[in-house]
Amino acid sequence: MQEFLTNPVVQGGIAPFVVAVIVVAILAKAKLAGLAVTVGFAIAVALVSGLGFTPLTATRKVVLLGLLAPLVGIVVDFALKKSRTLTAVIALCCGALTVWVFWSVLEQKAIGDALLLGGVAAVFVAWFVAATLQLAGQPVRAGGAALMLGLGAGISAILGASALLGLYGIAVGAGAGAFLLVQMLTGRKLVAGATLTLSASLAAGLVAAAALVLAQLPWYALIVLGLIPLAASLPVSDRLPIWAQAVIVSAYGFAVAVIAFVLTWWAPPPI
Amino acid sequence: MSKKLAACLLAAALPLSAGAAPEAYTVDPLHSFPYFEADHFGFSWVRGRFDKMAGKFTIDTAARTGAVELTIQTATITTGDNVRGERPRSRDEHLRTADFFNAAEFPSMSFRGNTTKWNGDAPAAIDGQLTLLGVTRPLTLAVIHWKCGPDPRAQGKRYVCGGNFTGSIRRSDYGMKFMIPGVGDEVKLWIGIEAFRD
Amino acid sequence: MSKKLAACLVAAALPLSASAAPESYVIDPYHTIPYWETDHLGFTTMRGRFDKPTGKFTIDTAAKTGTLEIVIETKTLSTGDSERDARSRTRDEHLRTPDFFNVTEFPTMTYKATSVKFVGDNPDALEGDLTLLGVTKPVSLKLLRWRCGPDPRTQGKRYQCGGNATGTFKRSDFGMKFGIGPIGDEVTLWMSFYGFRQ
Repeated sequence: MQEFLTNPVVQGGIAPFVVAVIVVAILAKAKLAGLAVTVGFAIAVALVSGLGFTPLTATRKVVLLGLLAPLVGIVVDFALKKSRTLTAVIALCCGALTVWVFWSVLEQKAIGDALLLGGVAAVFVAWFVAATLQLAGQPVRAGGAALMLGLGAGISAILGASALLGLYGIAVGAGAGAFLLVQMLTGRKLVAGATLTLSASLAAGLVAAAALVLAQLPWYALIVLGLIPLAASLPVSDRLPIWAQAVIVSAYGFAVAVIAFVLTWWAPPPI
Repeated sequence: MSKKLAACLLAAALPLSAGAAPEAYTVDPLHSFPYFEADHFGFSWVRGRFDKMAGKFTIDTAARTGAVELTIQTATITTGDNVRGERPRSRDEHLRTADFFNAAEFPSMSFRGNTTKWNGDAPAAIDGQLTLLGVTRPLTLAVIHWKCGPDPRAQGKRYVCGGNFTGSIRRSDYGMKFMIPGVGDEVKLWIGIEAFRD
Repeated sequence: MSKKLAACLVAAALPLSASAAPESYVIDPYHTIPYWETDHLGFTTMRGRFDKPTGKFTIDTAAKTGTLEIVIETKTLSTGDSERDARSRTRDEHLRTPDFFNVTEFPTMTYKATSVKFVGDNPDALEGDLTLLGVTKPVSLKLLRWRCGPDPRTQGKRYQCGGNATGTFKRSDFGMKFGIGPIGDEVTLWMSFYGFRQ
């Protein structure tokens, strides 16, 4: 059992996926199936590093925000009226929080470098969140987008030298995959909402940004990852069965993610 | 019972030996490194490493035999000082010159040996020869750690044997006499190896 | 005999203390080389090194006290795997990420000795604090070798103390939890060190 749980495929993929499927089954009626993403994320964190928060390093801030995001998502889904303004506010907050996450690194740099790095990371996360929130009302697109946001950020992070960040990202994808799979098997749509889209985009976005700041994801690969939510918005016929829509949306996102993988693989070593 | 069936049952009943035949292994260069230590002016032991080592070995745990071959790229010596700064050369550069390893003329050093002592299923000593600077002399490596098993990184699809080995040489035996006794004649060796079964 | 001469003779007769007061030494970055090692999948021991640490120590052989502060730049880590070949990243690149040493966020690790235990005139062990990944925990170091004397490389114009030290710690105590199980939790430090007297 010990060896099973230290296997990274289990830590980042199998365990998060299995638990997420159970969560979807239990919470679907309550319209909280979107929590599958955070559950998958939490399982991977617990298995890979344990759920400790001291000292509060940048990576632990990523975990903290990833775990808190669904709370905000639930408030948005059940208590607030959706609007462009709300999406913008949430996105801007996520951008500001990104600067907070990487503050310990930014403060070590010269002011120009800090502004550039912090700016790129903050704009990326804000955009990622805003673009994915657009899909909150479309559970198949949201699931496919979240699946590829997670896998895209996770696999890019692994290629960028950090297996830890990679497994966190892949687990987001595993949770989203569970959300998607249940819809594909039952032929019935679930409710995604901000619960799923905010959680997935903030967690995966911060994982990718962390891979840029703390590992070796190149900035141009980060920009490509930012296109995944757009890819998930490409046309898919509503008349197709749900499983087919899910496959097509995921394929769109995967095609973009692959470009990020290739760019990351071939990035030259740091000087 | 037919003759064929009886022969089959007999063969099936024979106990399988622990390692039924000699198995061949290739050293994993990313997880196998030789280290050395030498006395520095009587004050401390200073340690260094070679970054590139290749090799293979065959081992037959049942018959208690084994043969190993290791080749080390001498130019890959690294002791933590590879940037000259304002000095004429760094320590690593100095070690590559003819004063020490003469890497330009002798790009590799090699060890060839056979397992001569066993501790149950594990080799305990390897008697062999080290060729350094073109000179070949006997060298015995003690096996201080040994383990074989499926590779957890490959979901068991790959089999690994690995271990740690120690030994020592007198560098003057090989013609490396520069700066003795300032930098010690006796050089301790430590080699960590992981190898995949072919 | 005049009073002055008498006082002078009395002073001259007083035994000189071994070192009259605490002496300060600056760490020699070229020969102070920290190594660490930990278990790798039970097959072999994985070793790594940090390059060119900085620091200083003081020693008072009469009062039997001493201090030590050493600062290591974590990005200088090297384990012998720094060339990618066909892989996406090397092990050294992996070790620099938040998975292990997180060098971008924590560019240094430091050791500050809080007390020194002497055996006779020589320091034998240090109690101190290791700060790694922003976490400070007590770690003891044992001196394997210690010697002070004129530096033979400078015709005695420089006085140095040097030796070797070793210690162990659990990386999980410092929050470095990735891969525990396959990669050991207990890490052994071993270093050569030199300091030049100021």
